[in-house]
Amino acid sequence: MPTNLLDRLGQRVLQSLTQAGDFAVISSRAFAAAFKRPFDTPNLMHQFQAVGVNSIPVIVLTSVAISMVFAVQLSFGFRQFQAEGLASQVQGLAIVRELAPVITGLMMAGRVGSAMAAELGTMQVTEQIDALECLATDPIHFLFVPRLLASMVMLPLLTGISIYVGFWGGYALLVGVVGQSSVVYSTEFYKLLAFRDVGIALTKALVFGIIIALVGCWRGYRTQGGAEGVGNAPTSSVVTSSLWILVSDFFLTKLLLV
Amino acid sequence: MEPVIDVVNLSKAFGPKVVLANVTFAVQEGESLAVMGGSGSGKTVLLRTIMGLLAPDSGHVSIEGKIIQELDRQELFEVRKKIGMCFQMAALFDSMSVAENIGFALKRHTPMTEAEIAGRVDECLTLVGLKDCQKLRPAELSGGMKRRVGFARAIALKPQILLFDEPTTGLDPVMTDVISRVILDLKHQLGVTTVTITHDLKSAFEIADRIALLFRGEIIACQPPEEFKANPDPVIQQFLRGDAEGPFLTDPAPPKRSTKSSASPLLVP
Repeated sequence: MPTNLLDRLGQRVLQSLTQAGDFAVISSRAFAAAFKRPFDTPNLMHQFQAVGVNSIPVIVLTSVAISMVFAVQLSFGFRQFQAEGLASQVQGLAIVRELAPVITGLMMAGRVGSAMAAELGTMQVTEQIDALECLATDPIHFLFVPRLLASMVMLPLLTGISIYVGFWGGYALLVGVVGQSSVVYSTEFYKLLAFRDVGIALTKALVFGIIIALVGCWRGYRTQGGAEGVGNAPTSSVVTSSLWILVSDFFLTKLLLV
Repeated sequence: MEPVIDVVNLSKAFGPKVVLANVTFAVQEGESLAVMGGSGSGKTVLLRTIMGLLAPDSGHVSIEGKIIQELDRQELFEVRKKIGMCFQMAALFDSMSVAENIGFALKRHTPMTEAEIAGRVDECLTLVGLKDCQKLRPAELSGGMKRRVGFARAIALKPQILLFDEPTTGLDPVMTDVISRVILDLKHQLGVTTVTITHDLKSAFEIADRIALLFRGEIIACQPPEEFKANPDPVIQQFLRGDAEGPFLTDPAPPKRSTKSSASPLLVP
């Protein structure tokens, strides 16, 4: 019985290590392939559209909702200490440093990472990826690189949009509902912030973009088992990249705030 | 003369299941080989190993003297440019139109202009008997049309070798004949070496210079169609007759019922 348990545990550890190794190899191949010809500009433009432009409505709606809810909580909390004025300062700090990049990352993991996993998974089980190989085309170069580059560019841009929308979400609540002065809100929002904080947000977004694209593409590329496999790939991609976004957010925050 | 495709002692197993066991054969330039065998006998695995999509457990495949398993990825891609692979279900890129599918490799691997690519796409489509469907999407094509677009995509780079993976499976008899004719036309017009994996006896006898039979992971015959037909081996004869009784199946065949007794009593004559 204990031998069986150890055996199973060992197998799980080996399986995890194999998967981690495979992910590392494929990721490094994707980065290396980014500098190889031919540069597929139409494909890249298509990915910019799919990853970036088409995600704007989702990011705007999510950012409005989160920033307004957060403003409600801050306003309520600081009222306990008669310090309502601090709400806009903390709102600015939280949105720029944490909420905008993390919410954008998580939403994009669900919207874009899962789509990448499903698309590549379908291509894998319908032999389209084998067809690419047979047409002397590296699937990593053709499929991974445009998605990786698009995510690396678009996640920081979407985070910028999220910060902008978050400002106006807080404004609508704190100025429109709670009754703060609009001039006070606008100046206090930036009071605790420095340019470095925007840099931190964009760096986090860049890392989240890399995680989303690589995990989504890798899960899709390694899909096995027909319809069931294609069904599992997006789920697994969303769970894995969301976890990595949250874990890396902690370490990035610690690292970048030092 | 050195064979174009040389398969030497190729073995491949998936877990405990041995799919290929010491498979050896050679295909000369311009020759057409049909590889036949039962379902799950390893025919597709053989083709995928020739193409370098699967690594063998032992043995090797050499294409024009280059051992596939010893090449790095760039060298492998150079060899693959000389080979056209036609997949069983065509494997067309469903996000692209027919013209984009066929022009895909031309765009990536040749310095051809858009106009030249369009010309070559038309040429390939004419060769496979399809015209005016450049703008269609794979989802809008029938099974037979998909296969032919797959052929057109495979010949776009003017390969010296064509590999067909069950090109007629799942098609009606008329379309099967059309596909066989297309394969023969391609062979004669392009002078290519072909390896065709098929179940279809009629098609195999039409297109092949030699027929090989894969049985329990081994090639038990590889000879011209007439000799293959006359081969007394009971496995070959059973395969040719299409009879369930005999040594071909591992598990015993289900009992045969007479037509009369199996007729439904509900059917009114």
